[in-house]
Parts: sequence; C-alpha cells; structure tokens
Amino acid sequence: MILNIRPVLSAIKRNPTGALLVGLQVSITLAVLVNAAWIVHQRVVKIEQPTGINTRDTFTIAVSGSAKQFNAGAAETEDLAYLRSLPGVAAATVADGVPLTGNGGDTTVWLQPGHRGRFVPSAEISMDIEGIKTLDVPLIAGRNFRPDEIVPYVPGKIAPSASEAIVTQALAHALFPHGNALGKTIYGAVPKTIIGIARNFMGPQLGSPVYNTIIYPRLPGQGNYYMLLVRTQPGRRDAILRAAKKHIAASHRYGVIVYTQTFATANSLMDSSNRNVAILLTLVTALMLGVCCLGIFGLTTFNVGSRTRQIGTHRALGARRRDVVTHFLLENAIILAGGALLGAILALVIGEWLTTHYALPRLNLAYLLVGIVALAVVGELAAWQPARRAARIPPSVATRTV
Amino acid sequence: MLGYYTRLAFKSFRRTPGLTALMVGAIAFGIAACIVTLTVHHAMGRNPIWWKNNVLYAVTMDSWDPHQPYDPPHPNRAPGQLTYRDATYLYGSDIPKRKALLSFVTGTLSGAPGQAAPVWTMTRITNAGFFHMFDVPFEYGGPWSAAADQGPEPVIVLSRRENEKLFDGRNSVGHTILWNHLRFRIVGVLNHWDPQPRFDDLTGGGGGNFGRPARAFVPFKWGPALHLFPNGSMSCWAAVNTYRELLGSNCVWILMWVELPTRAQRQRFLDFMNAYWAQQRTMGRFQRPRNNHLWKVSQWLRLHHIVSNSSRLLLRLAFAFLAVCLINTVGILLAKFLRGAPIAGVRRALGATRRQIFAQHLVEVAMLALVGSAFGLLLGLGGLAGVRALYAHSYSAYGKVAHFDLIGIAWALALAALSTLVAGLYPAWRIGRVAPARYLKSQ
Repeated sequence: MILNIRPVLSAIKRNPTGALLVGLQVSITLAVLVNAAWIVHQRVVKIEQPTGINTRDTFTIAVSGSAKQFNAGAAETEDLAYLRSLPGVAAATVADGVPLTGNGGDTTVWLQPGHRGRFVPSAEISMDIEGIKTLDVPLIAGRNFRPDEIVPYVPGKIAPSASEAIVTQALAHALFPHGNALGKTIYGAVPKTIIGIARNFMGPQLGSPVYNTIIYPRLPGQGNYYMLLVRTQPGRRDAILRAAKKHIAASHRYGVIVYTQTFATANSLMDSSNRNVAILLTLVTALMLGVCCLGIFGLTTFNVGSRTRQIGTHRALGARRRDVVTHFLLENAIILAGGALLGAILALVIGEWLTTHYALPRLNLAYLLVGIVALAVVGELAAWQPARRAARIPPSVATRTV
Repeated sequence: MLGYYTRLAFKSFRRTPGLTALMVGAIAFGIAACIVTLTVHHAMGRNPIWWKNNVLYAVTMDSWDPHQPYDPPHPNRAPGQLTYRDATYLYGSDIPKRKALLSFVTGTLSGAPGQAAPVWTMTRITNAGFFHMFDVPFEYGGPWSAAADQGPEPVIVLSRRENEKLFDGRNSVGHTILWNHLRFRIVGVLNHWDPQPRFDDLTGGGGGNFGRPARAFVPFKWGPALHLFPNGSMSCWAAVNTYRELLGSNCVWILMWVELPTRAQRQRFLDFMNAYWAQQRTMGRFQRPRNNHLWKVSQWLRLHHIVSNSSRLLLRLAFAFLAVCLINTVGILLAKFLRGAPIAGVRRALGATRRQIFAQHLVEVAMLALVGSAFGLLLGLGGLAGVRALYAHSYSAYGKVAHFDLIGIAWALALAALSTLVAGLYPAWRIGRVAPARYLKSQ
C-alpha cells in the first residue's frame, strides 16, 4: 500500500476552516490534558505520602470546661488513668495538638541562641511519656521522655518550657545535615536538648515540609482545654471510643466533651481537598477529550457526506475500500499532527506558567509524549467509524446524477 | 421576519437532530463548567461587607522578633494580630467612630430552662463596636452598652443558632444564663449572620476563612478579668508562664478593627499609631522597621489569600473547556450551514439579501445558544450540588461556597451565551457570502 499524501493534502486545502477548527480543539485539549494529568499526579503523590502514624486504631477526645471551676490538670490525670486501665487500650496520652488536623502549633527551631543564624520551620506537639507509643512511631535513636521530665500541672500557670525534645528524622536532618543530632542543643524560646529521634510522621501543622515535627514533654495547664489521644488494639477502636466518651462525659462536674474524632477521619479529611481537585480535574479533562473526539467525528462525517461522489469516482477508478479508509485516517492524522504540534507548544507554555505561579514542579516531558500518543490513538478511533462508512460507498454513485 | 426565521431554524434542527443535540450538549457542558467554577470563585472572592469597604480597617503593627520576621516568606508583613499592650492602648483612642478588639475564649453555657448538661462554646470576647461596625443583625434585643464594655458587666449576646438550641428560638433577652458558671444577662440574640468569607477573623482561630461565626459574645474585658487564655490563634516569640505575663508579653492574639469614616480620621489614627510606635521604640520595643498599617476589608481579604489556588486553576480549566466546546460548535455549525448552502443559494436567487441570509442563520445560532444555556444552567446547578456533596467532608471551603448565587450564575450565563453567539457569527457570515449561481446549476 502506498500512502499517497498529495490528494489528502489537497482535500484538506479545499476545506481548511474545518480542519483548522479541529486542530485548534486538539491543541487546547492536549495542552490541558497533559497539564491536568501532571497536576493530578502531584496531588496523588501528596495523598499517598505515608502519615507515619497508626491512623487505623487511634482516636481523639477533646475535653474542656467551665473557665474557672474546671480543673483541667486534675481532669486529664483522671482521664488518662481511666483510659490506661481499659482493656484493649494500647496506649493513651494527653496532647496539646492532634496530628493531621491542623489543630496544633508550629514553631521555628534555631541553631544558635538569641534567634540568630539558621532556622528550620517545624510543627510542634507536646505529649506525655506514652505519646510516641500512642502514635505508634518508633524511636530511631535516643530515648523517650522520663516521667520526671513531664511537667506537673500548676493551676493558673502556662507551665515552664521543657528542656528536652524528640525530633523526627526529617527535622534532625534539616537541622544537622552532616552529623548526629542526638544530644545537640536547639534554640527556641528556651534551649532544648535533643534526647531522641523518631521515625518520620506528620505533625499537627501540615505546612511544608510535612515531616518536620518536634515533640516536647507535656506542658499542662494551658487554658482549660486538653486532648486525649488513644490507640486501641486492632478492631477495638469504635467500642472503646463509645465507652470512653460515655465515661468521660459523666465524670467531670464542670467539664464537657468538645468533640471526638478518629484519626482515620482526620486522615481522610486531610486528603480530601487534594482528592477532590484531582476528581474535578479528571472529570473536566475527560469531558473535554470527549467533546474533542465528537469534533473529529463530526468533521470526518461531514467530509464523507460532502465527498460522496468523489469517493465513488475514486472507487470506480480502482481504489480499494482500504484505500478510502486510509485516505480519511491519513487526513485526520495530518490534522491531529498539526494540532499536537501547536498543543505541545501550548502545553509547555502552560506548564511553565504553572511552575512560576503555582510552584508546581516542571512538567515531565514523558507526560507530553504519552499525551500526544493517547490523543492520536483516541483521535484516530473517533474518525474510524465515518471512514468505514465512506469505504462502503459503492463506485456506482459516481455514474449517477444527483 | 423573526418568526419566520425561527420556524426555519426549527426545520433545520429537525433535519439534523443528531448534530443539533451534539451542539446543544457541547454548549451546555461548557456553560455548566463555567457556572460551577465562576460561582465558587465569585463567592470566594466576595467582600461580605462591601458597603463599608472604605471605612473599616484592620489594624496591624509589627511588634515581632527583631531577628526574624513574623512570616519568613513575606518579611515585610506584620503579624495579623496585636499584643494586649498595644491593642488596649490603641483602643483607648477616641479618633475612630467605632472600634473593637476581638479574641476567642472557650467556655460553657448552662442554666437555660430545661437544659440538662452544659454545652461547650467558643465565645467571642469583643466590644459593643463589633456589632455596630459590622452591621450585625439582631433578632431580639441589641448590642450591650459602652458602659458594659468598661465594667465589664455580665452581659452576653447569643447567636441565633445557640438561642435555638437553648431557648427553642424564643425571645431570651432579659434571661440569665450561666456562662462558665457565672451569671450573665442575655441582652441580645443575633439574627442569621454568617458572612462568607469570615472577613472579621481570618486568623484561622475561629474555624478557618469560611467557618461559622461565634456562638456567644461577651465584653472583651472578661477575658483578662477571669484570666481566660485565648483559645483562638496566638503566636509568641518568647516564653510566657502566667496569664499576667501574657498580658505584658509580645504574644499577638488580639484582632483590632476600627471604623474611620473620613480620610482625615484615617490619617489622624495612623499618626496616633506612629507616635505610639516611636514612643515605645525608645523604650526598647518595636525594633523591626516601622510597619503600622490600616487595611481596608478588600485589602485584608487579598492579603489572606482567600481565593484558593485550586479555585483559580479550576476556573481557568473551565474556560479552556468552554473554548473547546465553542470551537467544536463553530466547526459543526459551519459544516451544517455549508451543507445547506444550496438552499441558501435558492433563497438568494429568489431575492433574499446577504444580510437576510446572515440574519436567518444568526437566529438559528441564537436559538442554539438559548437552548444550550438553559440545559447548561440545569447541568450547572446539578454540578454545584455535586461539588457540595464532594466537599461535604473537607476542610476546603470549595464546597461551602458552592451555592446558588444569582450574580455568579448570571455572570456565567451571560458570558457563555454571548460567547456562543459570537462564535456563531463566523459560520453565519460565511453562509451569507455564498454565491447563489454555483448552487443553481445541477452538478
């Protein structure tokens, strides 16, 4: 089979507007398709980042109470003793923030006293000795807090700042890229010694970088509000949450439960906006691709319809059905190629713009190549049916008058 | 003539029902995508108190650490909130027509008739000026008096929601309720007041930029009087140990709004701030460059990046989609019109002018745009419901603002219908230019 390109080109030349319009659609669709896929990929990467903690068996109970009468220090001690006595509870801690929720503090960690020199942003959370056990985060190096390092509650006081800290691997590396962070002193409001390094996990504040988290020993008594984090044995979470909720609600005269939430819910909430943007982008891009295919289908159908006699003549002069199909697919391929060329330039321009304005990583060229191939295949498939219909036109139509 | 063209258009639609459905569908989908994204975008970018945009100002001063900016990526930005010392000093000024300090404390509400257990409530501590300044509507009663701010007197304003919960929505003004087990007199109950975005408090402490407003309000001084630690947003750059230390510290935790109706007042208040800044600087505070600022509501909203990047991205995507849909429609229209060229040729030969042929086809385009827009509106409303469902459990504000918004939808519709019409100009013009003679001979 010889691909005779000249009659195809002259056919396009006879109706350049239609071809131009379809080419334009193809180019916009390609540019959007490629960049949307790239954005979706980034979002999925974010969703798939491990949290580093046990989100399946863990839940939060937040407790507060009447401003003056509620003794938060006594209440949290009582609640912890109760929770730890429950069969099925693996670990429980009191905390001033909840990982994955945005509910908690962030800070700046300095390498020199007096807020000088280099600093690293980090999320912060204070928990007691069962904190890292509750989150199911193993210590890579160093040790956990000792009970005497947990600062006792003093009514009316915010609590003195602790002088020990456990940091995640990511934070340790950011602070001391060349050396062992263990035992080093870091500076914030007061100097602190790094006594332990925990495996990476996501803290309460999900800024970037997400794994920079620092843990202090529990600093109780900040206001009249505390959060209990509880990890149960597998499968026991819901039953224990129900029992604990009932018990705690009834046990404090001036206290109330503000809310309860499982870590699974918190995790899904955290991912939801990334997931939803990915869904919306995919949906609109798919619709766009669909409309583009309809355009290709429409143009080919129109061309077949308006060239019936020419096709008949062509057949009468010896063209096989295959040649007719090839003619239309080739014509479509030329339009697609033109659209793809323009679309590739457009995709790169949009990609560059997204990189500067949305801090998106630069477009991976593999996405562009895959996009072109995918659009070419789908575009040819869209022209397939009308091209087949053209092939069925009998040579005899050439001899008939209209 | 219009009636005749309309009939011709109907005939044309019936001749090619498939193509017509295709065009209507493409226009409808394009318009629906624009309706959804434009509505959300419009709602996010809305200024909920636009009528007072030029008189209300948020007050900021840079009291932060000399060695480090408050917001390292934006070193020229002052903290969004004030320290207790600065807020109370600035509040003492009588230059503003109205003024208010804002913070949050937690507390319980109990003692309503028939109420079994105390309920937990984020309570806004503020001043009477808050209600006047922001035109907060009252269902019963009204704001507390200026004297109540000074005392402070034990007076409380409930939100409509809280009043429904505690008093079944009845007029509770004059009742006494226990706020943190202290007796407070209810002076007012708000009507529905839910400004979106929550321009009055964008610190994130009150549930985010699109969160619910506070459920109860008491005079600001109750916070310090009872030593209630702020429960909204607070940032410190040095350790504080007691409430008393907090009040003297450089921790920022108070929002301040002032109403300055004239430029002269605005300038006088700024001068007042600058004089205070200079005086405090000699005492060793404010060691960062002077950065005293009064922000209009619109500037304040822009500063806090209320419109999310995702929203902007989806809006642009929707326009690209609409463009593809319109190009598609132009292509189909062109093909369809040109196929009908012999008929147009006959009509021209019988005396129709080019302009008449053009008008006839434009009527057909207009009808397509109309039907497409109607379907697009329906699809768009469905799309908004879909977005709400998708974002029902999400921190993102996208779902919260995906509501039927007349202005947003009107914009989207007008834009889409107009662009369809413009897109149809070319095919209608092309068909108007065909030479009749060519179609009159038999082939």
